[in-house]
Amino acid sequence: MATFELYRRSTIGMCLTETLDEMVSNGTLSPEIAIQVLVQFDKSMTEALENQVKSKVSIKGHLHTYRFCDNVWTFILTDAVFKNEDSQENVGRVKIVACDSKLLTQ
Amino acid sequence: MADQGLEGSIPVDLSKHPSGIVPTLQNIVSTVNLDCKLDLKAIALQARNAEYNPKRFAAVIMRIREPKTTALIFASGKMVCTGAKSEQQSKLAARKYARIIQKLGFPAKFKDFKIQNIVGSCDVKFPIRLEGLAYSHGAFSSYEPELFPGLIYRMKQPKIVLLIFVSGKIVLTGAKVREETYTAFENIYPVLTEFRKTQQWYGTHLDELQEGMSFTMPGLPKLLLHRCTTEVGACNCEYMEAGLEVVVAVRTGWAEVGSF
Repeated sequence: MATFELYRRSTIGMCLTETLDEMVSNGTLSPEIAIQVLVQFDKSMTEALENQVKSKVSIKGHLHTYRFCDNVWTFILTDAVFKNEDSQENVGRVKIVACDSKLLTQ
Repeated sequence: MADQGLEGSIPVDLSKHPSGIVPTLQNIVSTVNLDCKLDLKAIALQARNAEYNPKRFAAVIMRIREPKTTALIFASGKMVCTGAKSEQQSKLAARKYARIIQKLGFPAKFKDFKIQNIVGSCDVKFPIRLEGLAYSHGAFSSYEPELFPGLIYRMKQPKIVLLIFVSGKIVLTGAKVREETYTAFENIYPVLTEFRKTQQWYGTHLDELQEGMSFTMPGLPKLLLHRCTTEVGACNCEYMEAGLEVVVAVRTGWAEVGSF
């Protein structure tokens, strides 16, 4: 199964990458294994978001910038409101990067 | 529409607009040649508010907020700018897009800027009998209410297409200069007043009632009693031309004619 590397830039993905880098540089892990871990991380994130996350969030804000290139949408919102079932939060500036997961199965 | 309020505050030049109505420009389409080959993917990646999906359309679609417009930018360097409300705004917008392309490192020029189409609209504020208009201006009109509710009027001089709606709302398209829009409207306005829908009814007393008989009423063309049923005591007669409706009360012989 092909996956996006989109989630590597998330906080948890960055932490994992840093740890793997450290382990590779002090010799506790081979670079090949580290790559394999990252690929597994891509798969696990996709699967977890698809199957284990049921909550829905709505994001509403002023669209400052948008872009669509290489089948990736990028949006920058200002004064956005994130809302889910029981809470909401205001955010001054948000960047949304979105890919079409249907493209992976084609 | 905002323009209607504006007309009240700024007096209309009646020598230019005898109808007293000035069509509002709604959309201007212009083209310009940037005269250099463009790497569309590089543009889409660097510029803001750009879309590029070569599988669907071979141009970058870019938007700016002031003047609120959309540009189609092709790899050949040709560009189409749409959405501006005036010729100057369209040119200003096209210049802004050219500047964006320049800032991304392309040697963009600004060659052969041309206004390709002007769309205007206005409201004559009275309903129009489209059937009658289509009938008397058959050579220019296409009215197929089952396909589209408006009458499509292809004026020859100036060469402008008008969409005329029952409500009295008019759309004028195809102009290269705004004067063509204005001339086309002044040409059609007397025709629209001629086919103004009136809710007026005329009445007369008929001495005899017979299917196929004709009768006249002041101010109306000759009428024909097309169908006459006696059971109900009143009969409804469809009329042949000009969208007139005739109702005749058989018992009293009183006929009423109105346009609908």
